Amino acid sequence: MSSNHPATADKTAPDPVDPASEEIYASHKKVYPREVHGIFANLRVLGVVVLLGLYYGVAWLSWDGHQAVLLDLPARKFYIFGLTFWPQDFFYFAWLLVIAALTLFYVTSLAGRLWCGYACPQTVWTEIFLWIERKIEGSRNQQIKRDKGSMTPTKFRIKATKHLVWILFSLYTGFTFVGYFTPIRELTSAAMHFNLGPWETFWIFFYGFATYGNAGWMREQVCIYMCPYARFQSAMFDRDTLVIAYDEQRGEPRGSRKKNIDPRKAGLGDCVDCTLCVQVCPTGIDIRDGLQYQCIGCAACIDVCDEVMDKMGYSKGLIRYTTENTMQGKPAHIIRPRTIIYTLLLLALSLGLVYAISQRTPLQLDVLRDRNSLYRETPQGLVENVYTLKIINMADHTRRFHVTVSGADAGLNDLRLVMSKPVVEVPPGKVISLPVSVQIDPVELRRASSEVVFTLSAEDDPDLTSSRHARFLGPVLSR
Amino acid sequence: MKDNTDQTPQNRAPEIPVIQRIIAVLWPSFLTSGVATGLFFTVFDPQDLTMLTGHLGVSRMAVYSIGFFMFWLLTSGTCALTCYFQRPCEQVKGRR
Repeated sequence: MSSNHPATADKTAPDPVDPASEEIYASHKKVYPREVHGIFANLRVLGVVVLLGLYYGVAWLSWDGHQAVLLDLPARKFYIFGLTFWPQDFFYFAWLLVIAALTLFYVTSLAGRLWCGYACPQTVWTEIFLWIERKIEGSRNQQIKRDKGSMTPTKFRIKATKHLVWILFSLYTGFTFVGYFTPIRELTSAAMHFNLGPWETFWIFFYGFATYGNAGWMREQVCIYMCPYARFQSAMFDRDTLVIAYDEQRGEPRGSRKKNIDPRKAGLGDCVDCTLCVQVCPTGIDIRDGLQYQCIGCAACIDVCDEVMDKMGYSKGLIRYTTENTMQGKPAHIIRPRTIIYTLLLLALSLGLVYAISQRTPLQLDVLRDRNSLYRETPQGLVENVYTLKIINMADHTRRFHVTVSGADAGLNDLRLVMSKPVVEVPPGKVISLPVSVQIDPVELRRASSEVVFTLSAEDDPDLTSSRHARFLGPVLSR
Repeated sequence: MKDNTDQTPQNRAPEIPVIQRIIAVLWPSFLTSGVATGLFFTVFDPQDLTMLTGHLGVSRMAVYSIGFFMFWLLTSGTCALTCYFQRPCEQVKGRR
């Protein structure tokens, strides 16, 4: 990677012994994470398969004749399986985001950076990119050796293949992303015929480029330098939070030794100083230096160290998931004020959201007053105001609605509503604009500006109503 | 990581690489412009905006995208100014 940023390479003084390559973010050696096997690595693979399976798969699901999850921006309708949301429902989305954030804080205070290690898109896509890299470039040692060597046709071929596969995978990722906003089947047929819209094309490349850059090039630097969560997650930590830690008391003094000697007699701890924990680390840190904010909690070092401990015939867990209290021989507390508060808050918010969505009125009425005239007088001597009613039927079937108007102020008893037809029929998920006028005998008007209320009620469900206030203007004749 | 412990008076503030400063401007502004775009177009329908401004025939997708980049331009401008004014006053005189 060193040769890729010539413009910035001269900014840092190169180390003559071990030239540090200039990365996007800082003078920095490329991290070649060694492949690791073990229970936590398997969990992460499971996470990758499930999460990416969901990402690439859900876009293709159908539900009731539409794409199951479709944030249809062009139509301003958001389908989530059986539910349809409108821009007016933004409130629920904000609510959901608050719940998501609280869940993240909750999990962090209990179990540390589980999100970072197993579920963050940055981790998940980086895992896939590393897997592709290993399939094409070989093991960690082969990669390091090749990168040190000069460019040969073979090296060029291998590198080009890797980048080609990365780019294709990234573009498919971008394609899927856009497929959540434009129906993916239409998008596919448009792509097949090379007539994608300009903006669709742009966003596919934009998102694809971001994937390629983040998972292929920047990797751990995103976590270290760009991630806001990484910066503040330690605020959720306390002495009972699950962290990955090296047991210093057991491990030190570290040192290599023959397999069959008794380390205590040789004056050694259990750490054989094989540095495998450093080699597998995706952020390139040494966990034995203590808890560091670069640690994303992926547990690769636990897996690899357990393997070594097995080989040496020592017990596992020299590096393990533990808490600061446990490490010091104190009891661990899962139930503590912090977790109780998070649990109660989350329960209340989640139940509240479910209740609010279930009670949502699938109907909306907006009233726009005609801006071109204040009022006009009819040949019968009545005062008339003109409005446009916007009726949104959010239900999944056609509904017929009745419109009524009444006075919100005292005195307006004899309002007359004039419409082209008495009942409005609105197809499912459609918006209807309906011009109406309201008339009244001017002697009833007490003020130049009064308030009237439009009420919409569904024919098949008398409880389903929606009301909107509007201004009624007119001359004041009395007094 | 680069060692930034140079304590000579002019050099007390750690030197941040140019590329890092560029990303420090573009990345947070990208995030906030995403939020702003979401909020703005929740309230305003692009079709109403195109009607009002007489740009009929511009698709909603185009308005969303252009809106996003306008917001990004604005927020990155703000970030860039912050970054620019962050430099301590005593370092501004002359070129270092």
